Amino acid sequence: MRADRRLIDVLRDDLGSTGTKEGCSIGVCGACSVLVDGELLSACLLPAVFADGSVVVTVEGLAQGDELSPLQVAFIREGGFQCGICTPGQLIAATALLAEHRRPSDAEIREWMMGNLCRCTGYHGITRAIKAAAA
Amino acid sequence: MTLTKPAAPDLLETPEWRIEGRDKVTGAARYAADIARPGMLHAAFVGSPYPHARVVSVDAEAARTMPGVRAVLAGADVRPARFGRRLQDWPVLAWDRVRFIGDRVAVVAADSLEAAEAAAAAVAVEYDELPAVFDPEAALAADAPMLHPDAAEYTYFGGTRPPRGHPNVQGHVIHEHGDVAVGFENAAAVFEHEFSVPRVHQAYIEPRASLVWIEGETVHVVTTNKAPFALREQMAVTIGVPAARIVVDTPHVGGDFGGKGLSLDEFALYFLARATGRPVRSVLRYADELQISNTRHAARIRLRTGVDRDGRITAHQARVVFDGGAYAAGKPVAGLLPGGPTLTLAGYHVPAARVEAVAVYTNTLPAGHARAPSQPQLTFAAESHLDLIARAMQIDPLELRERNAIRAGETDVDGAVWHDSLAPRVLATLRAASPSGGMAARDNGRGLAFSARHVGRGKTSLTLTLAADGSIEVLTGVADQGGGAHTMIQRVVARELGIDAARVRVRQGDTGHANVDPGVGGSRVTPVAGNAALDGARKLKARIAELGKTLDQAARIAAPLVVTGEGEQNEHLYGVYAYSIEVSVDRETGSFRVVDAVLVADVGTVINPVAVRGQLEGGFVFGLGQAVMEELHIEDGRVTTTNLADYKIPTIADAPPLRLVLITDAPGPGPFGAKSAGELANPAVGAAIANAIDAAVGVRVMSLPITAEKIRSLLRTKELRAADPE
Repeated sequence: MRADRRLIDVLRDDLGSTGTKEGCSIGVCGACSVLVDGELLSACLLPAVFADGSVVVTVEGLAQGDELSPLQVAFIREGGFQCGICTPGQLIAATALLAEHRRPSDAEIREWMMGNLCRCTGYHGITRAIKAAAA
Repeated sequence: MTLTKPAAPDLLETPEWRIEGRDKVTGAARYAADIARPGMLHAAFVGSPYPHARVVSVDAEAARTMPGVRAVLAGADVRPARFGRRLQDWPVLAWDRVRFIGDRVAVVAADSLEAAEAAAAAVAVEYDELPAVFDPEAALAADAPMLHPDAAEYTYFGGTRPPRGHPNVQGHVIHEHGDVAVGFENAAAVFEHEFSVPRVHQAYIEPRASLVWIEGETVHVVTTNKAPFALREQMAVTIGVPAARIVVDTPHVGGDFGGKGLSLDEFALYFLARATGRPVRSVLRYADELQISNTRHAARIRLRTGVDRDGRITAHQARVVFDGGAYAAGKPVAGLLPGGPTLTLAGYHVPAARVEAVAVYTNTLPAGHARAPSQPQLTFAAESHLDLIARAMQIDPLELRERNAIRAGETDVDGAVWHDSLAPRVLATLRAASPSGGMAARDNGRGLAFSARHVGRGKTSLTLTLAADGSIEVLTGVADQGGGAHTMIQRVVARELGIDAARVRVRQGDTGHANVDPGVGGSRVTPVAGNAALDGARKLKARIAELGKTLDQAARIAAPLVVTGEGEQNEHLYGVYAYSIEVSVDRETGSFRVVDAVLVADVGTVINPVAVRGQLEGGFVFGLGQAVMEELHIEDGRVTTTNLADYKIPTIADAPPLRLVLITDAPGPGPFGAKSAGELANPAVGAAIANAIDAAVGVRVMSLPITAEKIRSLLRTKELRAADPE
């Protein structure tokens, strides 16, 4: 694999996993957030070779078969998305947050989720969804 | 007939489960950039480095022979193709003149994006620079450089383009009613202020994307455009192919906020697809989104208002100058101004007014529509102006607004008579919801802002089919940019038929399959498409009743029942809203934070409770971003905030708490009494904060965004004046 090929290109173009989205392309918006061996990273910045041999979790990997994760259900119930373009990244980031803090405080949610921009919800629905899933 | 009775509890009181929810949380939802075709090529454009120049020559020879390159087109290859929503003034590729930095002169299609971009960089363009104009007032001078000498050739949809007093004018309107001169004569005091609002971007997270291919005689377009039928009509003229042979498909749209009614790339992609016989895709880089797509208009707004001794408005005069940028292509309305350009005191009784608005060509990126076009600019000005008047007249700011809020039978700033008005009630509700008594801290202050936004208008239709299994399929042409349109349609149909929402399936059809629809925008979807859904459900119910059957029995008859639901909403009505926002200011740095915010909004009957709350919360933070942090910096025509790190939008840490007070019992013209919600929450945030800052520390910010630097500088000036009154 070429050294300059980004993880997002491999996911979207080579593997056809288009759930991971590309927004800003500079690691600011968080739409391309993925978990690489459990670590929250931006797939638009990460050379794909760095993920060689790692377990990469994208939004496609959050549900167990047909069963949505509590976080996915909460995003639907609480208005955690509207247009949905940032949602894969929000869900990945929030999944990592809940792995780190089982019951995150408002301040912990704010700090952790700051790297995931959303233009639709004003973040209120996202915060509610994370709290609902953690409850 | 049991069908007429809604199931208990009322479906509308149950929070909705978004139809597309599962797809959006699992990554299955497909957006335009997710769609590929076999043999697909990738496009890359060549943009002008000059704000205004003559194109002398384009040499594409080197680019054509580069590896993987399948076609290179320049302006001469597409001439005279121009595009635009109302006025087609933007060349697909410029052949003789470029009018802003980034204006396209050539395009490459290649096997990979990398190859296309490498070839685009190898296209040699010779330019002859022309004098440029960046300031709209300067562009209106008699000797200003003219941007569009060929304006007579441009296609204008829907009649004749209104006459213009200067060739750099895009659109110009003067509204006048009542006796303005007498109104000012009778005033106890006259106040005049000038405000300015910069360019801001819609900043949806999804960059524009499009894919075009030709199959036989049919042109297929997959796009992020939120108004696919309108794009089809525009494209037919631009590329010279009958609309019936163009099929536009808009999958999920990753945010719009007004910006995605204009398409940029689809036209050039058609010419590339024709030249290569292959599908061609383009996904805009975010840097290009910020440099070439259609932003909100910057505006300079001068307001002059006369009031009597009690602060009641006697006359109002205004001049609004909008910076329209290099092309008017992004504006859909007939006057070629952003929508509602003369609503400089929306929601008030104005007995006499003269309001002039003009949109002007400049050598900067084009401006177009953005959530509640004109309103954030005009509401910032109007509500700051009224607050300054209240201060000068020593009248409580809420009291001043209550005295002037429009009542039934009174005339608004546009000369329209309101037959009914919720304005007094919204203000009374705000009074009740605002904390009384002093501020929590010395440098805290509370500001309010009030305004009105139209309930959307338009016409659409959709098809309902009763399937054999007793489910109902609705086929609609309404795209969903995230507002929840399809879920709204589902719930309206289900409620009217008294069935479970899950029994109603909503399918969005492309322009080849669904009925014509005007597209998402202008707060239109719920009142218009919602009425079509209700009409369809009623017709279906009537057909079932004629047959003397129940819904389930009717489903099992041989031929499926198919009806067309039609919806139209032409009444000129407003939803009224008001904010009260408390800020806490740090005098040392000028920084501030919102500690409390209340929004009272007249939304009518709520169909989707989760979505309505989301529209208002999201609109608040969207409005907050554009009020306190966002500005597309442009220096000599060059955008310098070219990425989402420099063009900052709110993060989760910037989102303050918001208390919502909804007025839902005053029915509107939509289904079951619904109104609109999408454009109520963003326009008034700027004024409420400017007013709160003034209440807190006694300085007045007259321009957006309201930054710490501006506040600190005003505080310093004030301190120096206090120390040395001379």
